[in-house]
Amino acid sequence: MPPSPTESNSDGRPDASPAPDRPAGEEKEEEPAPTGAGEAATATTLGAVREPQRLHPLTLLLRVGASLPALVIILLPLLRNPGSTENVTSLVLGVLYGVFALPAILLQYWRFSYRITPKQIVIQSGVLNRKNRSIPIERVQNIQIERNLVARLFGIAKVKLETAGSTSTEGSLEYVHQDEAQKIRQVVRSFQRGSQEAEAAASADAEDAADTETLLDMSLRRVLLSGAFRFSLLYLAVIFTVLELFNPEALVERVLRAQGRVGWVSEVIFSHPALAILTTVVAAVFLGWVSGIGVHVARYYDFRLWLDGDKLRKRHGLFTVTEGTVPLDKVQALILRTNPFMRAFGWYELKVQTVGLDVEEQGHRVIAPFAGAGRILELARQVRSVELPESFAHVSRLTIRRRFIRYTAVWAALLLPTVYFWPADWLHLGGVVLPWWGFGLVPFILGWAVLQYQNHGYAAGEDGFYIRRGVLSHYLWILPVEKFHVFHTTASIFQRRLGLKTLFVDTAGAATFAYPEVIDVPAAEADAQFGALYRRFRQLYRTRVEAATGAPDTRLAPDERPHLPVDEPPA
Amino acid sequence: MNAPAGADVADVAADGAIRSLNPSIRTIWTIKMAAFSVLLFLPALFYDLTHLFSSDAWLPFGALSGTVLVGGVLYCVAWPRLRYRAWGFALRPEELYMEHGVLQHVRTIVPLRRIQHVDVSQDLVEREFALGRLVVHTAGSRSSDVVIPGLPLSEAEAIRDKIKRFILEDPLTEEPV
Repeated sequence: MPPSPTESNSDGRPDASPAPDRPAGEEKEEEPAPTGAGEAATATTLGAVREPQRLHPLTLLLRVGASLPALVIILLPLLRNPGSTENVTSLVLGVLYGVFALPAILLQYWRFSYRITPKQIVIQSGVLNRKNRSIPIERVQNIQIERNLVARLFGIAKVKLETAGSTSTEGSLEYVHQDEAQKIRQVVRSFQRGSQEAEAAASADAEDAADTETLLDMSLRRVLLSGAFRFSLLYLAVIFTVLELFNPEALVERVLRAQGRVGWVSEVIFSHPALAILTTVVAAVFLGWVSGIGVHVARYYDFRLWLDGDKLRKRHGLFTVTEGTVPLDKVQALILRTNPFMRAFGWYELKVQTVGLDVEEQGHRVIAPFAGAGRILELARQVRSVELPESFAHVSRLTIRRRFIRYTAVWAALLLPTVYFWPADWLHLGGVVLPWWGFGLVPFILGWAVLQYQNHGYAAGEDGFYIRRGVLSHYLWILPVEKFHVFHTTASIFQRRLGLKTLFVDTAGAATFAYPEVIDVPAAEADAQFGALYRRFRQLYRTRVEAATGAPDTRLAPDERPHLPVDEPPA
Repeated sequence: MNAPAGADVADVAADGAIRSLNPSIRTIWTIKMAAFSVLLFLPALFYDLTHLFSSDAWLPFGALSGTVLVGGVLYCVAWPRLRYRAWGFALRPEELYMEHGVLQHVRTIVPLRRIQHVDVSQDLVEREFALGRLVVHTAGSRSSDVVIPGLPLSEAEAIRDKIKRFILEDPLTEEPV
């Protein structure tokens, strides 16, 4: 690869702030960067990583370990019946693995280096295809340090660098020594603050933000309590999937046989189908509840949130300790979430919607997993001014009818084929095949639609748009005016017949499935809100432009402004 | 500032100066839909022909391909007109307003300030008619690209340049997201 005169970012943008001290032969990683005298001094005091650094040697071990399952799968036929002639393929693959994969891991490690200068972080990687990535220091939004169980045992950590422009992690150092990880963060942050404050910043960071304001601390009791409110069948499904691998029937059999007393219990249970179903449900609920607590504790153990300048920082986790940063001005929306049980006891969860941060959290980051209403509002006000509206406007009552018809239609579309194809010798109840009884659920569908109507509301405040939605998970979205992006109203043919519309204000990084839509607003009201929300947005920016330029108008003279193409003389 | 601003924001979604697309977009849509209909028609025809002499055919000859043919022709004739009638847009000093959709009416306001970048693109059929489409990218998640089809290429480029200039000359230096 020929050495290029300028480094470019991953997306091909030219580096916004070329480092003055960048040597011409950047490609030669062995060559230490020549530095000016002043910067050298800063570098030594700050401990900037001027020399290209390798990752921690234990990385090699971990990567080989991570690739072992693949090897086991490749060699599985060989291990099952050794000596068979059909194993040539897996043997060849295994040899190929030894010849290619292991050296590849070694080479990758050998060719990976990182370097931190006052202007940028340079990461060089790649064996055949050399990649030279430089991340300008001031673009770094978040330095996330992750330590899973293995990493904690070995005293190493994974450092993720995230920038605002990209949707995924911009650079990842996997793994470095844990002290090194802390040092990298300190150094980057002190460079960001500027060298005059650097000393103070470094010493403040050395205490690990001991003198910064702690916003939320969760004791183990609180985490356990919050887990108890998080019933989820998801974890249960995972558990059963795992159990499936261990052949549960044999396990159950063995347990039952070992304890003869349990024998009659199982007999009773298996002789009455209703009892069996009941036991299964109770067991599932209980397991779901317990596993929910377990997962919750593992994730949020020792949760701590604190304010650090204009950033929120948090640290939590039992096995994998995650440290993260949320810059306050990058928060696109606030999301308050609760469920009926939590709400009955006054507990809420606070999330923020961000862009370009952690993709795994779908652009939503939990700020407070569990806190009382007052505390949550206090936290939300740390992020931005929040004035909860007195009352929420309901959408049109016709939404109950629409939802009822729609859900019933879907339910019928699911049931009718099963009625048609139901085998004659299967269960018949009361003279008709079982699926007909499914229509007994229709009243519940009506109840569900009513609940959805009751839990759906919106309010347009001076500072933002508030949307309430959800039956089992209550969501309250708070969209600040300054983060509005695109405004929509939609009306399907069914909605048009009833004079309804759906109103939607798009924000950056909104989730794709649960998003703040206001469904079935009366058309006139929707149009009025549509205009009013946009006007509020425009007014806000006009005021800002005026404050920035001192002139009431925007940047262009009236005749220069973009105008309708029809106004133009034809070209 | 407030008085004139108030006067001219009253028309945020008014349909006073809404423009239609270039009429030849109907022909383009017809061509594309015809191609799609032919793709559906050919398998139907194939099925009909291969079952021409089979005794247990449960459809009379030509029923399937005929239905597809009639449906396709209706679709090609009616749909572009309906779609054309539903489309409208306006480039205003600070926003792009558009409405479209036959079954689902959609009205959208894209503030020019929120536009990340703008493309003008043109496919093979559109090139024959010298039309282009304007693709506006925003950081919004559900509507990250907003497309206005059927603009004369020069006009699409003119709009693009205006939007570009608006973004470049924005006195606010804040980041878009």
